[in-house]
Amino acid sequence: MKRRSFLMALAALAAVPARAAEPPKGTLRFLRPPGAVPESQFAETCIRCGQCGMICPNRAINYFGLESGLKALDTPYILPRQQACILCMKCGQICPSGALKPLVREAEDILAHVKMGRAQVDETLCLSFQGKTCGVCYRACPLQDVALRVGLLEQPHVMDGCVGCGLCERSCIQMPQAIRIIPHEYGA
Amino acid sequence: MRVSPWRHLNKLRWVSLTLVFLMLILLPCIHVYQNLVAAHAYDLLPASDKTFYDVMERITDPFVTDPAKNLDKIKGTTWSGTFFGLRLSDPLAVVSQSAAALSVYWPFVVTALIPIALTLIFGRFFCGWLCPAAFLYELADKSATWLRKTGFPFAGDGKNFNPRFKYLVLAVSVIASAVLGTAVLAAIYPPAVVGRELYYTIAYSGAGVGGVYFLVTLLFDLLVIRRGFCRFLCPGGALYSLLGHYRLVRIQRKVEACDDCTLCNLECQYGLDPKRDGFGQECNNCSACIAVCPKDALAFTVRLRDAPYAGPGHLGAAYRRQRDKNATTKEGAA
Repeated sequence: MKRRSFLMALAALAAVPARAAEPPKGTLRFLRPPGAVPESQFAETCIRCGQCGMICPNRAINYFGLESGLKALDTPYILPRQQACILCMKCGQICPSGALKPLVREAEDILAHVKMGRAQVDETLCLSFQGKTCGVCYRACPLQDVALRVGLLEQPHVMDGCVGCGLCERSCIQMPQAIRIIPHEYGA
Repeated sequence: MRVSPWRHLNKLRWVSLTLVFLMLILLPCIHVYQNLVAAHAYDLLPASDKTFYDVMERITDPFVTDPAKNLDKIKGTTWSGTFFGLRLSDPLAVVSQSAAALSVYWPFVVTALIPIALTLIFGRFFCGWLCPAAFLYELADKSATWLRKTGFPFAGDGKNFNPRFKYLVLAVSVIASAVLGTAVLAAIYPPAVVGRELYYTIAYSGAGVGGVYFLVTLLFDLLVIRRGFCRFLCPGGALYSLLGHYRLVRIQRKVEACDDCTLCNLECQYGLDPKRDGFGQECNNCSACIAVCPKDALAFTVRLRDAPYAGPGHLGAAYRRQRDKNATTKEGAA
C-alpha cells in the first residue's frame, strides 16, 4: 500500500507541466530586490526566509501571497510606486540562498550587477515635455547622468546605466506617473 | 529521595521554546522600529505607532547606540537567520533549495553545517527544543488535555498511524520541489510558516495563506491525531530523524530503578514507549519523560544505539512475580 501510494504520487507529479520559465502569473508589474538572479531562476533559488525584507531600511520589500501564482508564493518584490529601492544593498548581503547576490554599495558593483528594470518616460504625461519645467525624477535619481540625464526644460532621458531602482517613479509628481520602471522580464 | 539534575531539563526546554518564539515576535518588531527611526518623523506618527516606538526604544535602548546599525545584527527566523555575522539555516532549507534548483549552492550549505552537526549528536532536538510550531502544538495539546475533561471531542491517545509516513512526505515534497522548480518545503514546513507569518502579521498587513495552513495543521493535531503533524507528516522531523538515527545523546531507562508506573508513556507526546525502552529515531530528546519519572529511572546517556528491552522494571510488581516464580521453580528443581 505504501509503495502504491508513493508511485501514485509520482504519477501525479509527472502530470504537472514541467518547470516553466515564464515570469509569475498575474497582472502585477513588480521588481525583484537588487542583485536578484534572473526571474526564471528566482523561485527555485529563493528559500523564503524573509531576511531581505527584514533588513530593508526603506521597507520597500513586500512578499507575494497567492496573487502571482503558487510558484511565487512568499517571494520578495518591490513596487517602486509605493516604496522604491534606495540601493543600500543590505538585502543582497544578508540573503543566504544566493537568490540576491551579495554586492557592495559602490557604483561599479551596482551598475554591473543590478538589473531590476529600466525607466521609461511617457512624454505625453511628463510635465517637462509639456513645457512645465519639472526635473523631480532627475533630482531623485541616485545615478544622475549615468542612468538619467536632463535636456532642455529638464526633460528626462533614460540612459543605459539605469538599474531600475524606481526612485524616479516614486518621486514623479504627475498622476499617473510619467516615468515608470519596466522590469526586464517585460521586455525592457 | 534522590533527585536527578536531568529532571529540570524540561523546564529549560520550555524556556528555550519560549525564547525562540518571543524572538520571532521581537525581530519583526525591531524591523518596524528601525523603519520608524529611519523615517525621522516621530511627531507625525499616529498615537499607536508612538506607543510602539516608545516601547521598542525602552526595550532596545540598553543594547544599542545606533538602531540602524546595531539592530541589524540579528535577523531572520529559525528557517534561516543571521546572528552577529553567523549565518544559520535549517538543513531542510538546504535540501529544499538543492531540490528546487537541481544544483548545490555551497555558501548556503555551509550555513546548515552547525545545525546538521548538532542533529547528528542530539537527534531531532530541534523539534522539542527550538521549533516555534512545536511550541504552539505542544501548548495546544496541553490545553486540550484540560478541555477534554469538559467533554469537547479532542483527539485522544489510542489512534495511531505509521510514523514512517513522514518520510514519504519528505520524499514527495523533494520531488515536487524539483518538478515545479520552487521551494515547496518552505510552504509546508510549519516552523518556516510560523516564523514567516508572524513576520507578515507584525510588519505587513497580516498573515497570509500560510496562517490558514498552520491553523489547519493545528486542528489536525487537536481533532484527528494527537501531535499528529510532528509525528506523522512533518518533512523536517523526517529529515532530523534520519540524521539522528545514530545520535550520540539519547534517553535511556535504568531498569533497576523503574517501577513500571507508565507515567513516562502517558507523558510522551510522540506516543513513544520509554517504559519498554522504546525510543528510536523518533525521540526528540525533549526530556518530558525524565521530568515525570518518580523514580528517576530515566536519564541521558551517550551511546550510538538504544538499549534493547531490558524487561520489566525491578521495582515493579511484574518483575517481583517473575523473580518469585523463578525462585520457586529453582527450589522445585533442587
